[in-house]
Amino acid sequence: MSESNNDGKPFDPFEAWRGMRNVGMDAWAKTMTEAVNSDEYAKASGAMMDAYLTASIPLREVLEKAMAQALQQMNMPTRADFISLAERLTQVEMSLDDMDAKLEAIAKRPAEPAAAKPAPTKAAPAKARRKEAKKQ
Amino acid sequence: MTPVSAGIEDLAAAQFARAEQMLRRASKVLTTKAQIAQTPKQQIWALNKTKLYRYIPVVPAEQRHPVPLLLVFALMNRPSILDLRPGHSFVEFMVSRGYDVYLLDWGAPGTEDRNLKFDDYGLDYLPRAIRKMKSVSGSSEFSMLGWCIGAILATLYAAVRPDDGLRNLLLLTAPLDFSKKENITFARWTDERYFDVDKTLAMFGNMPAEMIEYGAKALKPVENYVGNYVRLWDNLENPKIVESWHAMNTWVTDNIPMSGAAFRQLIVDLYRNNRLMNGTWVVRGERVDVSRIKANLMTVIAANDHITPSCQSETLQDKVSSEDKELFRIRGGHIGIMAGSDAARSTWPHIDAWLDKRSGKAGAVTV
Repeated sequence: MSESNNDGKPFDPFEAWRGMRNVGMDAWAKTMTEAVNSDEYAKASGAMMDAYLTASIPLREVLEKAMAQALQQMNMPTRADFISLAERLTQVEMSLDDMDAKLEAIAKRPAEPAAAKPAPTKAAPAKARRKEAKKQ
Repeated sequence: MTPVSAGIEDLAAAQFARAEQMLRRASKVLTTKAQIAQTPKQQIWALNKTKLYRYIPVVPAEQRHPVPLLLVFALMNRPSILDLRPGHSFVEFMVSRGYDVYLLDWGAPGTEDRNLKFDDYGLDYLPRAIRKMKSVSGSSEFSMLGWCIGAILATLYAAVRPDDGLRNLLLLTAPLDFSKKENITFARWTDERYFDVDKTLAMFGNMPAEMIEYGAKALKPVENYVGNYVRLWDNLENPKIVESWHAMNTWVTDNIPMSGAAFRQLIVDLYRNNRLMNGTWVVRGERVDVSRIKANLMTVIAANDHITPSCQSETLQDKVSSEDKELFRIRGGHIGIMAGSDAARSTWPHIDAWLDKRSGKAGAVTV
């Protein structure tokens, strides 16, 4: 069974409730947006973050050190090794990119005119050749 | 059973069936990823995590605009928002309008990239990608569209390399001026009295994607954490809205970290000290002087932008040397102006109309 209202939409028993909900949510959204855009919120969230970092950083450092030592003991590469390798790879990629640019520039350079052939040397006269042969 | 009770039973059964169907649809949308970024493209260059794509043209070469268009998006989000879904994609629209479109995807930085700064992105990666784009397109001139943090990078490049062939510069919701801190919620949160950026980066290396996502959503907590899902629930019987919501949710939840050094620059140099607009920002030893920008400039401002309020974008216009400049203000939010349901009727055609007049052969600019 379905009923239609004047707009031809199916009857929705929750429509009135939805309207009230939207009004409430708009008011809530406005209040919350004002709240987060305040110095008090910035101060509170900053303090929470700071507390988390103060507690976590020493723990993280200890864990990282222990892990690096354990990996070294097992002759395994550490995170630092991989990072160093990745950084070097990027440098290699950059060098390749530079070479690619240079090659493209060379390829696009207009072809140089064919090198001038050396002028054909005249054959020495027979008399001079004979004179030269005598000397030798 | 009386006719009245039978009627009530039918109504209840219908409502339960409807609710069950809605739950199934909601479950699917919330637990799966939509197919986004579907416009055909080809990767033409890569460096580290950064990739440059060229979209496959659909317009014959002789009818295309000779000046290619490079899209540069933010560092901490996927650029797929520019190509959200077939039938509703800025990239698809621009390709169909005859532009040779290129997209720079910064990729997700790893721990090894924690020292990458705006200097590297703006003066190493970006110029190299531009060189490749020029080589592939065969054009010495190009247009560049920078959105959000991508607009900072585009501005940086345009100011430091003004003679590198940049003909048209489009800046969308560009956070450039940080002087009116009272209007910028992020500036309040990252104030040095409350937020220790060095301590945060000492812990994480890069700025984690989750924290960036939280920051963006917490600006409007009720809308993002409650209203967004209520809107989905209310529209579960409208397939078009569900499809659009699904695609947007797929993009919104796919954030990437931001390189630690770049994040530090963003907070210290820009949010706290407004160095770009003060003319004191130095990258790779070069001062970023926005008055050196001479490309044709269009700044797009979203009137309801809570991430980049209009005061952050509008002042650039008075500082650049560009003779041809336009400030386009449009109703909508930070992302909505380009990916919302009205974008295809408002923002995209305006960008196309502006670029169309300025993307002809050199000397054929018809404004």
